[in-house]
Amino acid sequence: MKDSLRWAYALNQWNVRLDVFVRHEDQQRALKTVSACGFDTIELASGTGRWDNISRPEVILLNHGSHQGFLDFLRRANVQGVSSMFWDPQAPAEEEEGYAFRSTANPADADAIVEWSKPLVDFVAGVGAEQLVVRPVGSAWMTPPLDADGIKRIADVWNRVGERTSAAGIGLALHYDCLGAVHTEEEVDALLEATDPATVGFALDTAELTVGGIDPVAFYRSHSDRVTHVHLKDTRYADTGEEYRMPGAESTMLKGGAGRRIERWFFELGTDGGLVDVKGFVAALRENGYRGWVVVESDHGGNPAELAMLNSWYLQHELGIAK
Amino acid sequence: MTAAERAIKWSYMDHWRSNGPAGPIDQWHSVRTMSAFLKQIKAVGFDAIDTFDFRIWQMYGDYGCPAKYQEMVQDHGLERIVNTFHAADYDVRNYAPHIPQTHENILEDFRVTMGRWSEIQLDNIIVMPATLYYDMEPITEDKLKYTAECWNKVGEITAGYGVRLTCHHEFFCGIQSEPDIETFYSYTDPEYVALFVDTAQHCIAGIDPVALYRRHAQRVSGFHFKDTRHVATGDDHRHRPDSEIMAPTTGKWFYEMGTSEGLVDFRAMMTAVRDNGYTGWISVEHDKANKEGGDYSESTAISRWYAKNVLEEIYR
Repeated sequence: MKDSLRWAYALNQWNVRLDVFVRHEDQQRALKTVSACGFDTIELASGTGRWDNISRPEVILLNHGSHQGFLDFLRRANVQGVSSMFWDPQAPAEEEEGYAFRSTANPADADAIVEWSKPLVDFVAGVGAEQLVVRPVGSAWMTPPLDADGIKRIADVWNRVGERTSAAGIGLALHYDCLGAVHTEEEVDALLEATDPATVGFALDTAELTVGGIDPVAFYRSHSDRVTHVHLKDTRYADTGEEYRMPGAESTMLKGGAGRRIERWFFELGTDGGLVDVKGFVAALRENGYRGWVVVESDHGGNPAELAMLNSWYLQHELGIAK
Repeated sequence: MTAAERAIKWSYMDHWRSNGPAGPIDQWHSVRTMSAFLKQIKAVGFDAIDTFDFRIWQMYGDYGCPAKYQEMVQDHGLERIVNTFHAADYDVRNYAPHIPQTHENILEDFRVTMGRWSEIQLDNIIVMPATLYYDMEPITEDKLKYTAECWNKVGEITAGYGVRLTCHHEFFCGIQSEPDIETFYSYTDPEYVALFVDTAQHCIAGIDPVALYRRHAQRVSGFHFKDTRHVATGDDHRHRPDSEIMAPTTGKWFYEMGTSEGLVDFRAMMTAVRDNGYTGWISVEHDKANKEGGDYSESTAISRWYAKNVLEEIYR
């Protein structure tokens, strides 16, 4: 995309289970699709286990020999580089972390999480990406209520990781998601206040905030100094019934297993009935001279190629960005 | 480089499947699904679309008329409808180009058809020039001559509307071998009958599409750029009702250009297009891309990626 904002596309929706996005030719197809849509930079999501050879840094390096080898692989599809990598230390890890199941809310896990960040930080820096984007805390239904001390314990973990990212010359961005235990705007503010603005930024996801009941445009305008990364997608629903508190909300809420039984929360930009003011949000980014990456996602939306193409059309024809 | 500056512009041939809330659909399912289709085509850089004649009923029913449908195409940033494919249901009883007694029916069909399309300006009306192979065999010189005479007359009708009549040789039609194609064109009038090169169909029939194009470049009025991994064998070309679907050896014939193990040498093809000074439209097709796990959206994006990153490096 030829624009003063820097646009990237997330590959997460292609990698929906451990064995479907493993062969290099399948990865090349996704990369070419993203390239044809006008994006020359991608966001990766970290993964676990031997299958995840476009997600787990050590496996990527085994497959491609080096950071440069991986970049050469991307460039075969005319994708020039990596903007960022997403990491959720709460997600169960397989053999590389001893099948760990950790949480930043648990002080006993803090050292291990900080140590675990090392290969991710090294990889993000090694491929020339700019941000390690992290899920700062696990889901609300799995986490005890967080008081000020609880939020501070979480912030301390990220301050320590932030020292590592900063030393490696990359940023650390805490990503809000609609299931997270840091859920309300007050809780987000508390987390941001407890983290070092010099080393810890915020990854604003327009749809996740909207589902969580927070207006992304207003939030951005009041927090533009902390927003260092953006995920752009739309939603048709807000979680008006606190479904995020349901046990197993990843399934009961986000996959329609219970509650209002909404099977699909996230949609392409410009979707009918979309709640995100995408044009207003992008205008706010421009007004504030936003310098980070804007990563468009097909996350949990449907056919990833179709959504990438519809998102590209929106950028070109609704936002007036030349491909 | 803008589309207007390019020697070659890219059109997308109307095959599509996707999954809607009510199950598998094509883009003509609703105005909304058509819009999503057109957005995707435009997003990855196609300049226009091709369509089928049989879609004209949906253009009338859902959009008002062909011109109104084309307005919708243009509202999505695409230039226009370039070509239509006249997918006739051949029948040796009343509609078969190698049987002169049926010619008047064919001519009348085209008089009516061209009238329907006359409110927009097409470049080509594309036909499979012969019946299905099993309805025409044995292929004799007389049958080829009768067929050529038929299309000469049809071409005169379409020329009256400013539209080229052009022939697309499916591997399972009666005129698919190299000698039969050569004989057929020797009897046709270059002023009224053009050749439309489908790269995959010729490969499947065992013909080198690049060599065929180089021999007939001056009468080629368009292309379907798609790939295949298979050459027809045995009697693949004579299975009822349609070998493209029923041939026992191959479940999926067509792939987007750039596919691994593809038989079409697209670099050589584009070089030949350049060498012959062809300008205008190349249509991209990947008919039945969804078979065996394929995906139309992805194939469409990848084919345009290939056009931009490989073919336009040779000629644009």
